[in-house]
Amino acid sequence: MNRSLRLLAALSFVALPSIAGAQAITGSIAASADIATVFSFGTSTGLSFGTVTPGSGATGSGSIALSRNVGVIYSLPDGANTGRLTGPAGNLQPTYTCGVGATAATIVSSFTSCVPASTTASQLTLGAPSGTLTEYVIFNGSLAAAQTNIAPGTYAGTIRITATPN
Amino acid sequence: MTSRTGLAPLFALILASWPTLAAAQANSKGTVSISPVQNLAFGLLFPGRREAVPTTDVSRRAVVALAGSGPIDVTLVLPTALQTPTGDRIPLSFSSSDAALLTTSGATLKQLDPLQVNRVQLGNDRTVLLVLGGTAATTANTRTGHYTARVAILVNHPGT
Repeated sequence: MNRSLRLLAALSFVALPSIAGAQAITGSIAASADIATVFSFGTSTGLSFGTVTPGSGATGSGSIALSRNVGVIYSLPDGANTGRLTGPAGNLQPTYTCGVGATAATIVSSFTSCVPASTTASQLTLGAPSGTLTEYVIFNGSLAAAQTNIAPGTYAGTIRITATPN
Repeated sequence: MTSRTGLAPLFALILASWPTLAAAQANSKGTVSISPVQNLAFGLLFPGRREAVPTTDVSRRAVVALAGSGPIDVTLVLPTALQTPTGDRIPLSFSSSDAALLTTSGATLKQLDPLQVNRVQLGNDRTVLLVLGGTAATTANTRTGHYTARVAILVNHPGT
C-alpha cells in the first residue's frame, strides 16, 4: 500500500464514526391565530326635539355608536322616509344633517344625503382603521317654525342605518 | 498508475459502507422519529386581549409525537410572533411551564421548559407526546386576519 492509500484509509476510519454519529433530527409544527372582525353597533341616543311650542322652530341631535376594525359602508334603508315623523296631523319631515364623527358631538364625515332617494345606495364609505375604533353616526335634525304649527300630539319616527363591513 | 487503480475500489467501499455504519450507530443509540400531531392554535382572538393556551388545553395546544428509545435532547426554536403575509404581528411569549411530556394516554411524564434544552428518556420504542402552549398578546391595533408562525423541534442524542 503506497503512502496516499494509507492516508486515505486512515482518514476514512477517522471520518466514519463522526458521520455515523450525527443523529440530529428536526421537525416543526405550525402556530396560528385569527383576529376577529369587530363590527357592532353600540348604545344609541335618541333624537328628541322635546316639547315644541307650535309656531316655533326646534332642533335635536341623536347618535349611535359603531365599533369596528374593518372598513364600513353606511346606507339608509328607508331612503326618503328616513327620520320622517308621524303624528296626529300626519307626516312631519325634519331637515337633517348627518354623518360620522369620533364623538357624538361633531360630524367629521358627512353622508351624501340624509334622506336619499335610493334605499340601497351608499351614503358614506370609510376605510379600515389602523385598529379597533368606536365612531358615532350622528343625525342633527331641525324643524322650521312653519312646520310646527300643527295639531298637538306626539310625532315619532325612526332613523334606520345600515352598516356593512367593507 | 497502480495506486490509482487501487484507490477507486477503496472509495467505493467507503461510500458503500457509510449508510450501514450510520444505521448501526443509530440502532445502538435508538432511532427517533418526530411526528407533528396538532398545531398550536390560538383560535379566534379579539384585538386588545391576551390569550394563553396552557398545556392542559387539549384542543389548542401543540402536540408532537416522539418515538424511539434512549436519551434525547429536545430543543424548541420558538417564534417571537405570529405574522400575516403582509407583516402584521402578534407577539408570542412562552414561559418555563409551557411544555410537557405526556404518555399517549395523556398522563404527564415530565414538565418541560420550552426555553431550555430538555433531556428526555425514551423507553423501548414507546411513543411520548410533547405538548406546547404559549401566550399571544393582541393590541387594540391588531388588524383582522390570519396569523401564523412555525415552531421548530430539534432532537439530538446526547453526545453526538
